[in-house]
Amino acid sequence: MSKISPFWVSAAVVLAAGLAFTEIVENQYYFTAIYLILQGLIMAVAWNILGGFTGYVNFGSAAFFAVGAYTAIALDKALGLPLPLLIVAAAAICGLIGLGVGYLTLRLKGVYFAIATLAMAIVLETFITNWSYVGGARGAYILTPDKHLWFDSYSEMLFMLMLVLAVVSVAISRKLNFSRLGRGLAAIRDDEVAAECAGVPTLRLKLVSTTIMGAMMGVAGAPYPFFVTYVDPLSAFNLFVAVNAIAMPMIGGTAHWIGPVIGALLVGSMQEIVKVNISSELNILIVGVMLVLFISLAPQGIVGLVQKHFLKRKA
Amino acid sequence: MVSTARTWFVRTLCAAALAAGMVGIAAAQQPIKIGFSMALTGGLAGAGKGALIAMEIWRDDVNKKGGLLGRPVQLVYYDDATQPANVPGIYTKLLEVDKVDLVVSAYGTNLIAPAMPIIMRKKLVFPSLFGLGVNEEFNYDRYFQIMPSGPDPKVDWTRGFFALAMEQNPKPRTVAIVAADAEFALNAAAGARKNAQNAGLKIVYDKTYPPATTDYTPIVRAIQATNPDIVFVGSYPPDSVGMVKAANEVGLKTKLFGGGMVGLQFAAIQKNLGPMLNGIVNYDFWVPEPTLKFSGVEEFLAKYREAAKGKGVDPYGHYLPPYAYAYLQVLGQAVEATKSLDHGKLAEHMHKTEYDTVVGKVKFGKNGEWARSRVLQVQFRDVQPDNLEQFAGPGKRIVLYPKEWKSGDIVYPYKQ
Repeated sequence: MSKISPFWVSAAVVLAAGLAFTEIVENQYYFTAIYLILQGLIMAVAWNILGGFTGYVNFGSAAFFAVGAYTAIALDKALGLPLPLLIVAAAAICGLIGLGVGYLTLRLKGVYFAIATLAMAIVLETFITNWSYVGGARGAYILTPDKHLWFDSYSEMLFMLMLVLAVVSVAISRKLNFSRLGRGLAAIRDDEVAAECAGVPTLRLKLVSTTIMGAMMGVAGAPYPFFVTYVDPLSAFNLFVAVNAIAMPMIGGTAHWIGPVIGALLVGSMQEIVKVNISSELNILIVGVMLVLFISLAPQGIVGLVQKHFLKRKA
Repeated sequence: MVSTARTWFVRTLCAAALAAGMVGIAAAQQPIKIGFSMALTGGLAGAGKGALIAMEIWRDDVNKKGGLLGRPVQLVYYDDATQPANVPGIYTKLLEVDKVDLVVSAYGTNLIAPAMPIIMRKKLVFPSLFGLGVNEEFNYDRYFQIMPSGPDPKVDWTRGFFALAMEQNPKPRTVAIVAADAEFALNAAAGARKNAQNAGLKIVYDKTYPPATTDYTPIVRAIQATNPDIVFVGSYPPDSVGMVKAANEVGLKTKLFGGGMVGLQFAAIQKNLGPMLNGIVNYDFWVPEPTLKFSGVEEFLAKYREAAKGKGVDPYGHYLPPYAYAYLQVLGQAVEATKSLDHGKLAEHMHKTEYDTVVGKVKFGKNGEWARSRVLQVQFRDVQPDNLEQFAGPGKRIVLYPKEWKSGDIVYPYKQ
């Protein structure tokens, strides 16, 4: 009989705890707060697939997130599809854009690639701003449907949906990290030319990596219009989304799949606590200060610190 | 023995009465909590901070008079950082954790809309601060908008500008419409287009520009090339400044210029632009003209000026603060009149009552907007350079429209 991995046991426990949480807790605040943390977690995990595993820094995360949100808006308006199908569609569209970004890596590396992703975000924002079908610069309203399955409220349902998506994202990231493909990506991160010489199909791996990253970010963005009910390009293409997607893995640690998870839970929870107890603006300051501290003092993030600690103890 | 039993009975009764009294006093002292989110940082922070000052003045005024229903009023608020994504969390916390009794909206359309589903789910009364046409989407019968845009907000907003134009002799025939590529400006331009068509004006220029534009001279030159009789501008503060400066540099020749420029209502921008403003006809909601001296507005503004010192907000607070005070006045009056915090009763009262506020009489229509529009069209006159104080008093922004609030006649044309 094959042994069940502790990861899958933990994932099942998390999902069961989430379900129990919706049954026990009546305070809706927790569902909206945790929703935002989970949204950050998916974005961080997605960013890390390209930024952490492959070593290509993406500054345009907000664009994938926003395209996911606007795909949901457009298809909801045109066809009135249910949310799960909107999420699949957003994943497909953003995956395709990710694939396109993957081809950029043929010519662009390092800082040039990072700038290209930023430029792509601006191009996509301009496109959405001028696309009147999805509201254009005026923004779009999405009315929350009355149906929310067996949950007591729509926010409970969105919370549970986000939890499932987050668990799936983490599972994909973990699978990638430990797979042959993940080792190929690590080789690209360490030295792309050497990897190419050693027979690693670098372009194909990079394409897979960017496509998965794009699709995941689209998935994070698709339920967003149903969460806020009003989306305009300025809030969807928000720089803060992109900054969080970078900061969370950097703080948690980029080399291991658990890094962005730890970073997202830590930074996201802190942001939600600070937002209602001190000031919303302090969020940005906190992220900035933590980012500077980790980059200068612990470039490997929390995971790196822990690994170092255990290595010392072993020695 | 009988005497001991009677003493015990009397003592118990006294103790029970005392305890009941204490509980009553405690309940009476428990504050009525009013919750809201407000932009205290981020893009709308300047206006949001001004609104908060006004709301705190209202709270202090009410508490000085004994509070509402004999209970003190407490404001519970959080900074939304001008981020719509923060709003749902803030309102759920206000309702579920802070257990506020009443809620009011944040400032601005895109920060009001995200709260709507939560408010609607709980069937709460929702006084709203300067959201343009939010309820067109939600059709919520407990939504009450304090901005005086009128029953058809997007069209009513610019109705006055075109009505004024069509009263002039000779009547204008052509119009140029230019707007920033952003929420308010596009809605205002859409309304302007409708009003222009209704007035039979030929639209000779109809374009938008990105909000990040820095040089407005080419836009004004392109407008001038079409030689329009009137020019309608829908813009936000930075571009309003850019457009006015460019119009002066280029020497824009047209009969009526302005309409929907946000920012020209703020004292700092007025001082910055100075005489360049002269002749511009633009929307406003309150100006210190003799026709708009509503009961309590002077006292409120005196308190506001004092409270605003050193806080980096508009020093005179003519634009948003009186309305931030008024939307709480409406709520407070409804609570006192119904002697209740029951949202059904409050909504019913707010639908059928005309309220006396610092911004005049407020009567809401079916959709929660003002039953009659009172978007003013004012004309800048005799503005002197480098003088902030001149905008504190009358004579610099003459009310031209609507007629019942008119304080002077139009100077027409703008520049020929």
